[in-house]
Parts: sequence; structure tokens; C-alpha cells
Amino acid sequence: MNISRRNLIKVGLGALTYYLSAPQFLLLAAGASEITPRTIGKSKILVIIQLSGGNDGLNTVIPYGIGNYYQARPSLAIKPDQVLPLTNEIGLNPNMQGLANLYKEGKLAILQAVGYENANRSHFRSIEIWQTAEPNKICNTGWLGRYLDHVNGDKSMGLFPSVNVESTLPATLAANNVMVPSVSNINDFRFKTDPRYYNDHKAQLKAFNEIYKQFDLNRPNIDLLREAGLNANEASDYLRRVVSTYKSNVKYPNGKFGSGLQFIAQMIVGGVNAKIFNVSLDGFDTHTNQLVTQNNLLKQLSAGISAFHEDLQNHQIADDVLIMTFSEFGRRVAENGGRGTDHGTAEPLFIVGNKVKGGIYGDHPSLKNLDEGDLKYKIDFRSAYASILDRWLSVDAKQILGRAYDIIPFV
Amino acid sequence: MVNTKDSSFWTNHLLRRAGFGTTPDELKHYVQLGYNKALNELLNPKQIDNSQLETNIQKQNFDYTNLDELKRWWIYRMAFTKCPLEEKMTLFWHGHFATSDRKVKNPYAMYGQNQLFRKYAFGRFDDLLMAISKDPAMIIWLDNQQNRQSSPNENYAREIMELFTLGIGNYTEKDVKEAARAFTGWTTLPDGFFLRSNQHDYGYKTFLGVTGNLNGTDIIKILASQRVTGHFLANKLVKFFVADDPDSGMVNRIAQVYIDSNHSIKAMLHALFSDPVFLSEKAYHAKIKSPAELVIGSVKLLQVKTLDHNLPKIMASMGQDLFAPPNVKGWDGGKAWIATDTMMERFNFASLITSNKFNRLEQYTSASDLMYKQGLRNARQVVNYFAELLVDGDMPQSTYTTLTNYMSSNSTGTKTTKIMDNQTLDAKLRGVVHLIMTLPTYQLC
Repeated sequence: MNISRRNLIKVGLGALTYYLSAPQFLLLAAGASEITPRTIGKSKILVIIQLSGGNDGLNTVIPYGIGNYYQARPSLAIKPDQVLPLTNEIGLNPNMQGLANLYKEGKLAILQAVGYENANRSHFRSIEIWQTAEPNKICNTGWLGRYLDHVNGDKSMGLFPSVNVESTLPATLAANNVMVPSVSNINDFRFKTDPRYYNDHKAQLKAFNEIYKQFDLNRPNIDLLREAGLNANEASDYLRRVVSTYKSNVKYPNGKFGSGLQFIAQMIVGGVNAKIFNVSLDGFDTHTNQLVTQNNLLKQLSAGISAFHEDLQNHQIADDVLIMTFSEFGRRVAENGGRGTDHGTAEPLFIVGNKVKGGIYGDHPSLKNLDEGDLKYKIDFRSAYASILDRWLSVDAKQILGRAYDIIPFV
Repeated sequence: MVNTKDSSFWTNHLLRRAGFGTTPDELKHYVQLGYNKALNELLNPKQIDNSQLETNIQKQNFDYTNLDELKRWWIYRMAFTKCPLEEKMTLFWHGHFATSDRKVKNPYAMYGQNQLFRKYAFGRFDDLLMAISKDPAMIIWLDNQQNRQSSPNENYAREIMELFTLGIGNYTEKDVKEAARAFTGWTTLPDGFFLRSNQHDYGYKTFLGVTGNLNGTDIIKILASQRVTGHFLANKLVKFFVADDPDSGMVNRIAQVYIDSNHSIKAMLHALFSDPVFLSEKAYHAKIKSPAELVIGSVKLLQVKTLDHNLPKIMASMGQDLFAPPNVKGWDGGKAWIATDTMMERFNFASLITSNKFNRLEQYTSASDLMYKQGLRNARQVVNYFAELLVDGDMPQSTYTTLTNYMSSNSTGTKTTKIMDNQTLDAKLRGVVHLIMTLPTYQLC
């Protein structure tokens, strides 16, 4: 019944994208019985962690044994004896013990000096470039959005091709044919009605669904709103059922980032059949008094990732998950006058997982041979993406990124 | 309904955009003035006696050093002011010169900045740009207190061009460096702006083709006089007030007004709200309400007298945390307001305001009383009344039918012909209001 009605709904031109996602939508309406559970041990899940604001790479992966670091950073440099050494030249920020342990276990790959030609130093444009993988033009879809479009026909994707654990969808997951739900807080994520008239709850919900399924008006945003509204209720029912089965003793760091990662673990453990999850950690724009702010953020990052990994390990599902971090840019080599750093260029990327071939990929960028005070990039960021698409998600990266890039064998 | 495009229809449209919607009485006032006079009243807040608002605010004793109280103070203003466009423009400038207390960590400085936006809301853009460049919260937010001759900090120099005036692509990295030098020493003390002359770079600079011993004031004058600045502002105003996808012809017209009026914001707004594109069917119910518009609008339509202390948190959960925009770019707005969870927050706000908080409504004592006062005799009339009030009657026939069936059924969904007891009537009436507030068209303005 729902199906035939939905097919009758007219859509405007602007709504084409939402129209195209109708098949998933039908699945949604048909209810959880249609959901194919994920096959443990065979899934390849990718968790993207966006470090917003521009993370200072030089104080994350620290070149403590490379000339010029201490000269360039008189107040910000981390002392050699505090660094968690990886080699006799570079080491991790002392607040990242968890990641240092994962490195020792061979589960952390560090990609050095990742960036692109003619780096843009605007937060907004540069994050857009990283998210869309398009440095030279404005692009409406993200690199993972295009991946979702690409595999849209794959039935194993099921109900949730991807879940964004933030309140706004990053361009990374913007797709033409797939609408990715955003859910940041599962506890409040349900349709509430007047608590005094609980008997009427069902009647209201029924009326809501009936109204929404037939809400046919020729206005620009109507289809977007209608789909978001229906999605919200269906996703709420399903996700609440899924996460209710999760038990864990692992302690995640306090705050939005830690609870976001835990929610992702709940969904993965509970069998949500999504391939891509997205979460972010904000506050890296450290123009002033960088040390305290960045140290605290890196601590959250490291503790969050190791808790998440341990949790998945305990649930025997860690083999299925790969984590990648990125930021819109690294920061200037020389510190500024306010014990901070200004917008820069290349940055290190972290890739974490049981299936990762741990180690350091690429040389640390030179601190002397600079481009107007900025690091010169060595690895094109799209090489990192291509490697993940090709070797983890098993699709032809060229079809998603438009051309071939060097594959880095970290997975 | 769209096909009755009389003056009151467009005045209502104007108030949803230039304000936060209206109470029925306010709407009556503006409709009686007629569209042009209503617009003039909105554009000239200084000619309105708004003293009742200030008196009521004084009674509330808001503590402006407390962030949560500061948010409630502003929400109170938005809800009860007689000068809604003044508050709407304050919100626009807050999004344009987006400053967050998460970094400033000084609510009183944020209060000062908010009053600055109100003061300069309709004046010359040059004056606003000068005032905001010397504003303590802004100086802290974009690190200009760290901008010294010996070690320039480029943050303010970059953002004033990228986000406040020219837009990306209209300046070079060299311009950023030169402007940063011109703003060296512009700092703040506890009592306000202070020029530390020993940290200011008095050397020659070349900025956007102008060479000289330029200081921050010169940079601001140069920026405000650029044609692209007018275009950048026009585009942003049209996006904020008219359509997410601005009509380029309209943007050009408003940009020209910026030049012709010697940078008058009021002149730009007058042209914007008189433009044929704004007054076209295409513009009607075409914008997604921001959380501020949704929350304040609901308070007004339902004539809520006592504001819920949680309104700032509720707006934040919908994606608009006042005094804490997500980043220097402010809120993206438009489609970005809508995600699965922010949609659910909108539904649940509707539930909250129609359930336990509904008792504080001015005109609501009981369901039967309301029906009697409004002369509503059956389910269909109740649905019509609230549809007209809340969504301007803009919903498909199927929705009328479902709501009428819901209203005239018992809780198990069985249609009843019996006269309802007052409790069931109350539940159903609140349910109808709740459901209309969850409609796609209720999310539009």
C-alpha cells in the first residue's frame, strides 16, 4: 500500500536527487524485516574522523630529531624526552599513548606530508577540497558520497548505507542517489507526544505517517523535508532496537567525540549494515595558546580511537573496521606571536585497524625546504583515498576519483 | 492560500522573512498599515516606541555575564520586540561576523557585540565594519590581540576579506599579509579597543593596488569601497531573506543599490523587500525556517506568554546555538538545517510546546473554551482554523482529510460520532496542533 502511494508522489526537478533514492526509501517503509544483517568477518567498514579547524601536524607527529623543529617552535615545541618515539627522528605527541600502543601492535599507519598542489588556506574551501576530492572546481558530491552512489545497486548495503554521527551532513557523504541519515544523539531520537495522553501516541504517529507519505505539494524543499521526516521516524525505530542489544565495559573519553564513537560501536556491534560512518572532533584552529588546546584534543582523539578499537576487539568485530583521520590542512612551520600557529598546508594522516599494515609511509616533510613558510606535500590526499577505495572497499577508485592515483600499501 | 494574493498575503510573507512571524494581533496591525507602510515601519525601528520591551527586560534582571541568560535575553527580545527586523538583522550580522563565545569566553563581550549589531544594523556598512574591527569580542575571536609588528597574525586580515567583504578569490595571499600588517597593534583592553602604537607596523604597504602607510582604517575604507563587497553583501542578504539559491538578477540589483546609496544597508533592504522576485509566487514558502525562526515563530503564533528556559538548548539541538555559530563562516542555513536528527528535534519541540507548555498560552484555558470562542463546531473546522493560523492553509487535501479523521477518532483510531468528553477533546486538539507543526510546510517561511 505504501509503495503504490509513494510511486504516485510527483517530484519537482530540484527534488530529483531525493526521487532517485526511492528504492531505499521503500525498504525503509517496509520495516526492519527487510534488513539484511551484516555478515561478521566479511564486512569492510570505514570510519572517518574529521579533525576540524586545521590540526597542527608538526605537534602531532613530532620531528624531534629533525633540524629546525626547535628553532621554528620556540614556545610550542615538545621536548625530546616527552615525545613518544616512533623512530629516532619522529615521535607522537605525549598525549597520544593509545595511538602509540596501536603503532607498536602494527595497527597504525601514518601517512606523512599529505596534501595537494596550490594548497588553499581557507578553512571552508580546503575542507571542501578534502571532502569532495576536487581541488580545482566546486563539486556537489563527496568522495564517499560518490562511492555510495557507485555501490547503490549493491543489495548488501541494506537500509543504512552510511550514518553520520553529527547534526549536519559533511560534504564527504553528499551523494546524488543516496540520503545519509544524521543522528547525533540516540537517546532523544524518537517521536514524542503529549505524555499525559499516552493512549493517543499511536493515533498521532499513524496520522503523521499517513500525512507525510501523501504530502504532495509543488514547492522547492518539500521533498527534502518529507524524506527527512519519514527517515527520522524509521531510523529512530530501527536504531533504537539495534543499540538496545549493546553491552560494553570500555570507557570512552567524555564529550561529544567519545560518545559519537561509542554510538558508532553500538551500531556496528548491533549489526547496522552501514559501510561508512562519520564523526568529527572540533577545535583545532589554534592561532593562540595552542599547546593546552591541541594537547587536550589529541588526548581525546587518541583515547577515543583506542577505546573504540578495544570495544570492537571485545566484540570480535575489529577486523571489519578501518579508521581514517584527516583535517583541512596542517599549520605553518614557524609559530606566530601568540604561541599559536597559522593556517598551513601538508599534514599527517592516521589509518587504524587490525588489517592495517602499520608503519610510517613517506618521509617526514622537510622543515627547511619550504614553500613560503609552509611544508611541501609529498603524498596526494587522493592517493590515500584511492588506496582505501581500492584495497579496503574493493571498488575501482578511478571511477570515484576520476583518474588513477598511486596506491599506498597500508592496507 | 497562494491564489489569494492580496496585500495581507504579502504582508504576512514580509513578516515571516523580515521578522519571525507574528501574533494574530501583530499581523492585524501590519495588514492595516498596508505593505509599504509596514515595510517602512520595519526599516525605521528608531521611530517605534519599544520602551515596553526595555521595561520588561529590566524586570527580568538578566545577567549578561552568564551565557545561558544572555541567550535567553536575546530570545526574549526576538519574541517580544516591536521592531522585529532590527532583531532579524542583528541575527544576520551575528551570522555574517560569526563570533563564538566558545573561544571568546566572555559573555559580556558577546553582549556588547550583539548591541553593536543592533546599533549599526541599518546604517552605512563602512561604520559597521569599523566598529566590528574594533570590537573586543571580535579581536579576541580572530586573534588580533596577537597581531604585532614583530610577528603578524593573519587571522583577522584573512577573514575580513574572505568572509566579511570581498569573498574568496578576490584577493591574493600578499593582500592578506599586507592587511595583517595594517591591523598590527589593534588590540583590546578590559574597557574596549586600544591601539598599541609600539606594536603597529608604520611601514609602507600595498593592498589591493593601493600603496601607502596604510593602517586598519584605510584597509576598511578600501574594502568597503570595492564593488565586489556590495555584491558579496547583496548575495548574502538575498540568501538570508529571499531564497537559498539567489536570483542573480536580483543580487545585481541590490548590489547596485549598495553603490548608489553610498553603502546604505537600509537602502539595500528596502530594495530587497520591494523587489519583484521577493514578491513572487516563487518566493512564497520557499525558504526553510532557521531554528530561530521556527522557535520564535511558534511562540508568536501560539501566543506563548512565558518563555521556556530551555529554548536556547532546544534551538542549539536544531543546529542554531546563539553566540556559538559552528565556525567563522556562521550558519550555512537553507537545506543544511535539515538532517534526520534536527528534523526530529523540530517534531519534539512541537510536541513540547503543545503538551505541557501549552497551558501557558494566553488564549487557551480549555479545548471546549477555545472552540467556543473561535466558533469551531466540528473536527473539520478545528483543522481549518489551525491550518490557516499555522501554515497559511498551505497543505494538500490529503492532509486535511487525515487530520480531520484523526480529530474525530478515538485513540484506537476508530471513528466516533459521540460527543467527546473534554479530556479527549483536549488531547485531540493538542494533537492536531502538534501534527500541523510537524508538517513540511510548517518548516517553511
